[in-house]
Amino acid sequence: MLEIQGLYKHYGKFTALNGLNLELKKGELFGFVGPNGAGKTTTMKIVSGLLNADAGDVFVDGINIRKDKKKLKEKIGYMPDFFGVYDNLKVVEYMEFYASIYGIEGKPAKKLIYELLELVNLSECAGNYVDGLSRGMKQRLCLARCLIHDPELLILDEPASGLDPRARFEMKEILRNLNHKGKTIIISSHILPELSQMCSTIGIIQKGTMVLKGTVEEIMQQMNVSNPLLIQVVEGQDKVISLLKRNPFVENIAIKGSNYSIGFKGNKVEEANLLHSLIENDIRISSFFRQEGTLESLFIQITKEEEGEKIEV
Amino acid sequence: MKFRMNPVYKKELKISVRTVRMAMIILGYNAVLALIGLLSFYFTFNYSFNNNIDYSGILQIYLILAVIEFGLVLFVVPAFTASAISGEREKQTLEILLTTKLKPSQIIFGKLLSSISSTLLLVFSSLPILAIVFSIGGIRLFDLIQLMLFCVTTAIFVGSIGIFFSTCFKKTVPSTVFTYGSIILLVIGTLAIIAVSYMIGVRNYDNLYSASSTMIEYNPPGVGHAINLLLINPAVSLLALLSKQFGSPSYLSSLLSHYGKTNTVIFDHWYAISILIQMLLAVVLLCISVRTLDPLKNKK
Repeated sequence: MLEIQGLYKHYGKFTALNGLNLELKKGELFGFVGPNGAGKTTTMKIVSGLLNADAGDVFVDGINIRKDKKKLKEKIGYMPDFFGVYDNLKVVEYMEFYASIYGIEGKPAKKLIYELLELVNLSECAGNYVDGLSRGMKQRLCLARCLIHDPELLILDEPASGLDPRARFEMKEILRNLNHKGKTIIISSHILPELSQMCSTIGIIQKGTMVLKGTVEEIMQQMNVSNPLLIQVVEGQDKVISLLKRNPFVENIAIKGSNYSIGFKGNKVEEANLLHSLIENDIRISSFFRQEGTLESLFIQITKEEEGEKIEV
Repeated sequence: MKFRMNPVYKKELKISVRTVRMAMIILGYNAVLALIGLLSFYFTFNYSFNNNIDYSGILQIYLILAVIEFGLVLFVVPAFTASAISGEREKQTLEILLTTKLKPSQIIFGKLLSSISSTLLLVFSSLPILAIVFSIGGIRLFDLIQLMLFCVTTAIFVGSIGIFFSTCFKKTVPSTVFTYGSIILLVIGTLAIIAVSYMIGVRNYDNLYSASSTMIEYNPPGVGHAINLLLINPAVSLLALLSKQFGSPSYLSSLLSHYGKTNTVIFDHWYAISILIQMLLAVVLLCISVRTLDPLKNKK
């Protein structure tokens, strides 16, 4: 659905995009993560046809966006990180305006508008002025506006920013719903736990380069390897240290009472082997698990690095 | 093929015309014009000396009303157009519009049309008041139509200046300042340039004349063909139109012949040529605006 090849963009001396590559399949819900200034919005603006790239190519459903802007605009729905609404229009008029841009007028427009307002839970506010809507409602109205021409690719820049938890939850549900209907969605956000719950794939961008991309499971698995192994020993603590030291995958050990936090570089099989050897040596264990990682901790870990090292998943 | 109204124009009209404010502005404007017209009538007929009514006074009513209409177009249209695009930027709606199927040219023309429509609505609504002069004669319906068309072309010209600056600047304040600055330059600046150039020429001539030992006829030079600069001045175009309608080219000819010299073809068709040039300038400004607005053509 979307293919970005070696995208470069400079603002004066500042490099916003440094050879960015990205490929999204149809129906993917892609979470675009990165610190401020990493190049997320620039990428989204280039894909939406609002900016020219210095080098590189972008294909949306096989269309080179430099060559066919008209078709591009039919394929994408862009929602920036601000509302961009006309306060002195009513909700339904706002939608009618965008419908008329795509040549949808009269009864078909009315029908479509009410369907979309229903989808984003705004049908009761159709007659209200946009000015009187809450932030969450305005955000949902913008999303409905994006959908007016039934685009295949939705580009959403920080759609949940500034929303309260309830509004964020509603937005998340709407996006999931849209994804189930077959829409490909790129969504940038700083609310990482929600992204990890919602997205099928996630990409982390830093200094204009994609440093990590994969499914949520793949990313979690990769990051779990770097998380400590937590063991709680009930009996046989005297033997634990010597046994652990002999294991080639153990990198470090931290002890707090009967709790052991172990830097363990092995995979699931090696974890099982370690557990087996502990039991074989009559060490009684009450818990043995790898500390769960969060996308947030991975994000912090990656973005802390001075130079973004590319990790293939 | 089904006619489709420009969506931007339609939306702007909806916002501006549905309020009571617009109706009140039309009412107020026409009330003021009507008062001026009726007072002129009253003074012309009730204060006639020696029982002689000066019917040319009625033509003065037309002149006053025409100048008011012109002033309205000249100074109100830029107020709307100078904020047309920059206002969208400030509301953060421009970026969204540019990602839709709308072409930059549609946005520009929609904005221009909607900006000049409100003012032209005022102008056209005052047509019955202008028609007051028909009761005495001297002005034909064609003249009135010509005046209305002149208002339309002036609105397009000054409107395109506003749109141009509104596209160039991100904020409405500098856009408005530059728009009004340009209009003042067009109306007063061009006259001032001609006048100053003329005065410099006369002073130099005076120095030479006084230093000359031979007796020659005092004939200071004008600014020559530079007088044609006034072709871009809408106020001079109005003067040319009124001179033509009143059947007295003396207003325009005294201005042109005093300060410079112009081709007789240009002089005879000053009004038409000036309108043509102003429309060409408007087209150029609008084309630049369209190009500036296109995110993929403008910035790399």
